[in-house]
Amino acid sequence: MSQVNVLFNALSRKSVLALSWICVLSLFLFSSSCTKKNEVGENVLKIRVPIEFKGFDPIEANDLYSSDEIGRVYEALLEQHYLKRPFELKPNLAEAMPEVSTDGLTYTFKLKKGVMFHDDKCFPNGAGRELVAKDVEYSLRRLADPKLPSLGFWIIDGKIKGLNEWRDKSKSKDKTDYDEAIEGIKVVDSHTIQFVLTGPFPQFLYALSMPFSVIVAREAVEHYKENFMNHPVGTGPFLTGEYVRSNKLIYTRNPKYRDEFYPSEGEESDKASGLLADAGKKLPIVDKIEVSVIVEDQPAWLNFLRGEIDFLPVPKDEFTNVVTSEGVLNPKLADKGILGQKAQGLDVIYTAFNMEDPLFKNNLNLRIAMSMAYDIAKMNHLFWNNLSIPAQSVVPPGVSGYDPNYKNPYRQYDVAKAKEYLAKAGYPDGKGLPEIEYYISHGTSGRQEGEAFQGMMKAINVNIKLNVIPWTELQNLVSNKRAQMYTMSWAADYPEAENFLKILYGPNKAPGSNGGNFDDPNFNKQFEIASVMQDTPERTALYDKANKYAGEQLPLIFQFHRVRYIVQQGWMRNYKFSEFTTFNSKYYGIDAAKKSELLPKLK
Amino acid sequence: MSINAPVNPPANHLSNQALASSNKDVSKVERNHSLWSLAFKKLIKDKVALSCILVIFGYVLVAILSKFGIIGANWAESVAASYAPPSGDLWLGADIFGRSVLVKTLMGTRVAVSVGLITVMVSVPLGIFFGAVSGYFGGFIDEIITWFYTTLASIPNIMLLISLTFVLGKGITSVYIALGITSWIGLCRMIRGEVMKHKTREYVQAATAIGASNYRKLFIHILPNVFHIVIIESSLLFQTAVKSEVILSFLGLGVQDLPSWGKMIDESKMELARGVWWQLAGATIAMFFLLLSLNLLGDALRDALDPKLKGKD
Repeated sequence: MSQVNVLFNALSRKSVLALSWICVLSLFLFSSSCTKKNEVGENVLKIRVPIEFKGFDPIEANDLYSSDEIGRVYEALLEQHYLKRPFELKPNLAEAMPEVSTDGLTYTFKLKKGVMFHDDKCFPNGAGRELVAKDVEYSLRRLADPKLPSLGFWIIDGKIKGLNEWRDKSKSKDKTDYDEAIEGIKVVDSHTIQFVLTGPFPQFLYALSMPFSVIVAREAVEHYKENFMNHPVGTGPFLTGEYVRSNKLIYTRNPKYRDEFYPSEGEESDKASGLLADAGKKLPIVDKIEVSVIVEDQPAWLNFLRGEIDFLPVPKDEFTNVVTSEGVLNPKLADKGILGQKAQGLDVIYTAFNMEDPLFKNNLNLRIAMSMAYDIAKMNHLFWNNLSIPAQSVVPPGVSGYDPNYKNPYRQYDVAKAKEYLAKAGYPDGKGLPEIEYYISHGTSGRQEGEAFQGMMKAINVNIKLNVIPWTELQNLVSNKRAQMYTMSWAADYPEAENFLKILYGPNKAPGSNGGNFDDPNFNKQFEIASVMQDTPERTALYDKANKYAGEQLPLIFQFHRVRYIVQQGWMRNYKFSEFTTFNSKYYGIDAAKKSELLPKLK
Repeated sequence: MSINAPVNPPANHLSNQALASSNKDVSKVERNHSLWSLAFKKLIKDKVALSCILVIFGYVLVAILSKFGIIGANWAESVAASYAPPSGDLWLGADIFGRSVLVKTLMGTRVAVSVGLITVMVSVPLGIFFGAVSGYFGGFIDEIITWFYTTLASIPNIMLLISLTFVLGKGITSVYIALGITSWIGLCRMIRGEVMKHKTREYVQAATAIGASNYRKLFIHILPNVFHIVIIESSLLFQTAVKSEVILSFLGLGVQDLPSWGKMIDESKMELARGVWWQLAGATIAMFFLLLSLNLLGDALRDALDPKLKGKD
């Protein structure tokens, strides 16, 4: 201690001050050169997610954002082709598309050889082992395990021979027996697996391309137990880094990723838009992904403008600043190299009637009245910048079974007619009609949308009690059939009309996906026939018929198929909008040279 | 009534005491000047306090007029284009549905004032009762009440409010109840302290000597002497309640069917991006003047009523 004191006394106060200034300055210089290197030199993709994602357990990935994170680390047997439209499935972990028996009930998959799990301490010596057919079997069993909080069992519920029986048996056991044989899942050899279905199920392949059915390693599940959620060990193109300040997640390239290449085929327009420039390039293209959790739209937008996010759907209130009245990108942004595109998702927004409520059950006229009082053009203007497509029924454009020329007669805005129907329903001028409880989730503009709905119904003397509640609470109410009316949306799990019509199928009533509890024998029958058919023109015709039939029964007030406007930085490569984003991050690229040229313009 | 005669008239007690302590010539002061009339005189002379009272009175008037439908009955009608900017006809512009922001701001006054008043009406009796009982009786009763309010106070206020509105359901009634049953603690503590101090005073001992009941001593003798605290605290409680209502409505837990300043601020947080500043301006200006007046009035009331501050100016 005394020596130190002597030393300090020897230095004058001034020199100490100067020294500390030098320290501070050099620290500052050092840190700023570091950030610069980080921003320009490395091939880093920067993504924003608007909610805290749940974690990395695939069996719980029932929301878009968790699915996207899972898809960076894990892989499934199949995936949607990145560029082709209409969508087409292609093999991913499978070597080729499966062999299907003539009766359509047996599917045989051959797996790619040499697919390695990430290195992790759950494996002997910490080195990842090869993926085998047993892993596929294990992962699907996990999805059906009644002891686990699986949210995705519905995709194979009742479809694979013996799986439901195994599930039921496991319920009464203390521990699920993963080694007990299941008739419908056969591991033929180390790289061949066979599924036997209980009946025709043409959507089976879609089920195997969903984030629920990605392949996990048994060692990892058993090693990390409850913490498996936070320790993904997959075969995917990226490895997880750590959380940074709980609002950022960093992924790095998997150095041992097998040889997978960027597609060389796509839509006709893809070549012109440069989406085929990287054809044949080894995947993944970027070295690193930074995912930032930014809940509010406004800070996300400001971060995009500073070049901290590579692509983003334009927030509703920014739209007029971003897109000119001619519908093109604002030149101020275009000068900075930013690109914009309209993107139509495969989804439908609707306001549902609880069809088990005596008020709406058997009262088609009341439903028609409310549907016709709904001013779709005004809503499109106020909330969707006139971009979205008014929905006539549930099936969206881009899915076979959608008829672009169809206009649902009860979906057109006409207050006078709406009043007539209200009178026919037994409530002339709204007399005798009780107040209707309406729920909407407290999103960015939930309350305003709710007030708009309230106002439109008031115009025909229908009184709405508006309840703006958190999203989880709304889900709860709907699955307990306690919401009299509510607004929600449904986005495609796979590009097929069945995936949309199922939200009106009687047996799918709440807590299933049919939250409005519509149960019409006629519709159910049409659905049952069409949903087990292979993709043929006859099936498309049946879907179309069922879609129109349901449309005119008005179990829902159909609102929109959403169209968003997406902007991307000039240096972002290979961005193609898709409703199915889970496995897409390996295709995205960053043009580092262009970034160093454009970034100064943004700052 | 005869039993009361030997005892100091409670309301005069303080003023006499204060006069004695200020060592002025007692004979020059008129005898019928109670604490209240002195305070009132002082308040009238204070121009700031007077203008605050006028401002608050204005808010109350707006609230009453809108309650009876004279102002803003048709606030839900659209009178202009969506997001019309402020103009000569429409001083504060229009919101997303073309409704007048000025009318919405005035309607917000009704919610704010009613929440303030009802919260005070609920929490003041609670605070007085618990504070007085616990300070007067002490012992076991005091321990229980003190434990109860300390526990309640240890829960962060906004968290408590949010959970209460979740339990009670949304709407203005829940806001009244939630705020009423969470805001009495401060007042309770002060009353408790004052009552403890007063119960050993001579005038209370005198009342005891002539056989006055506990009820009589507490509510007829002691309480009027600590009542100035209630007045001061009420004005501060009022403004806390207004602020809390704004926060709850901002979070979507407050008022559902009426315009409220919190809801307006919530909407404007996104609208600012497109340059629509008038909702935020309307709500914050209205809040600013009400809260400022209440705060200044609270200070002026304390200056006028608190005997400890007497003679300082």
